[in-house]
Amino acid sequence: MSSADFVALLPLIVLGATAIVVMMSIAFRRSHALASTLTLVGLAVAFWSLWPAAGEVPRQVTPLLVIDRFALYYFGLIIAATFAVVLMSYGYLERHDVRREEFYVLLLVAALGSAVLVSSDHFISFFLGLEILSVTLYALSAYLTERGIALEAGMKYLVLAAASAAFLLFGMALVYAETGTMSFPQLASDFAAGGAAHLWVLAGIAFMVTGFGFKLAVVPFHLWTPDVYQGAPAPVTAFVASVSKGAMFAILLRFFYQSGSRDLHATLLIFGIIAIASMIAGNLMALFQNNVKRILAYSSIAHLGYLLVAFEAGGLFGAAAGTFYLTAYMITTLGAFGVIAVLSASGRDAEDIEDYRGLFWRRPGLATVFTVMLFSLAGIPLTAGFLGKFYTVAAGTNSSIWVLIFVLVATSVIGLFYYLRVVVALFATEHIPSDAERPLPVVPAMGGVTLGVLALALIWLGVYPHVILHAIQSAMSGIF
Amino acid sequence: MNLWPFVLYAALVLITAGSMIGLSAILGERHKERFTNQPYEGGILSEGTARARFSIKFYMMAMFFVVFDLESVFLYSWAVAARDLGWVGYWEALIFIGVLVAALVYLWRLGALDWSPDTRRKTR
Repeated sequence: MSSADFVALLPLIVLGATAIVVMMSIAFRRSHALASTLTLVGLAVAFWSLWPAAGEVPRQVTPLLVIDRFALYYFGLIIAATFAVVLMSYGYLERHDVRREEFYVLLLVAALGSAVLVSSDHFISFFLGLEILSVTLYALSAYLTERGIALEAGMKYLVLAAASAAFLLFGMALVYAETGTMSFPQLASDFAAGGAAHLWVLAGIAFMVTGFGFKLAVVPFHLWTPDVYQGAPAPVTAFVASVSKGAMFAILLRFFYQSGSRDLHATLLIFGIIAIASMIAGNLMALFQNNVKRILAYSSIAHLGYLLVAFEAGGLFGAAAGTFYLTAYMITTLGAFGVIAVLSASGRDAEDIEDYRGLFWRRPGLATVFTVMLFSLAGIPLTAGFLGKFYTVAAGTNSSIWVLIFVLVATSVIGLFYYLRVVVALFATEHIPSDAERPLPVVPAMGGVTLGVLALALIWLGVYPHVILHAIQSAMSGIF
Repeated sequence: MNLWPFVLYAALVLITAGSMIGLSAILGERHKERFTNQPYEGGILSEGTARARFSIKFYMMAMFFVVFDLESVFLYSWAVAARDLGWVGYWEALIFIGVLVAALVYLWRLGALDWSPDTRRKTR
């Protein structure tokens, strides 16, 4: 490996090294403040290292990893989102009587796994990244071991993720059995020569769709989502909803675009059906929930359906629209679960819709941030969520996928109902619980500031998206 | 397109699994006596609950065994190709061992290596 390879790999190396440094610091001095500070410093250095790495791209580092602008853009998203999760975890963990420091080691390793995932262009690194991410998420979901519901979430995630990984592996094996290669560029040349029509390749891709679908939590592979979202600690849910799904969507784009299997009729058909089912089922089931975490879980199923519409639209425009949508969605979910995290007391998370009744009159700042997040999820103008939906519909119109666009628009209207239901509760003037009935914890300074920054970022993206759009445009050069 | 090996393979899988379950269902004996559903303990009546609690250290031993076992598996495969991999391979193996040593130091400081619970440090 040359020194240029190392520079290109710097973000991954820094993330891995930080995890070990934090682990060592725990071994010799157990301090929550120290562990979280080291984590933040490491993440900041990893983010800074994107710039030297950008000087070396695109670069194939070993046959397994490719560092290009696409990977770097997603590195940036992953690192920034993990940074936000760490900031909101600090206050959350302070309220819980657990070993707090190891949380950050797990979070860093999960970020590393996600980064490996988005930079892989080989089945081996794809699977390794996925497993690094999944295994840490099992532990993170069950981190608050005194809560039975958290253990249930971890166990469910473990069993179902292991089963879906088996499907993914078997799919990869079938593709490999026919084509004799596991690297995406070589698969592309094989598929272009007509290999994609082979029955085994089709069967392999079908199995892989199961693996993708599970991680993205799209219908019919979504059954774990509400339980894991509800059971896992709120910062972990934020991580699962943003980083884990974002990384999986990135590898979905990379694999299907680079290998050329996106253009297969079968792929488009199956993802079209999944997208429609997710949009309808996610939005309809969210209507019947009274638990904010579960509402957000079903809404995330619907949002991944919207993302798949961008995937279906295809081309440079579709991929760029999907990436923009994902960026907006990551900021939004981080903010929404961040509000839940700062409001959660030690015993349970603030997940009941009654916890939010009249919140505006008790904690105006938090309620405003939450409202902005919910508006963005609903796709109301001036927020990034609106622009994301706008670009997705525009990309879809470009490719004339009218059925999908119609479902997207119709289900967005349904979605409005349950988002506004929470907003109505936030601004309710009657039956506001007193501090004695539902005590509100003090908002930790770091968590509060993070939420404010996230809300500002969301509006900034919604009003002036030029900068990020430019970055996304150049990032897409990686997969075209 | 030559599909018959795949069909044969799939059929063999189904036949093997099916015959294992099916044959034992057909040929197996069926009793329904007073003690049929009791666990067999060498003829002695079983006693106590199955949910006995064991010390965590036995589990820790098993975990450590798996960790070091895997380490040696990786190092063996490196050792076979050590000459071909040259210094790059050497440094990579060194990093691998270094990470594992770091994990070991962490476990040692945590008190996971202490057999007696009294010496285990208070970690909270």
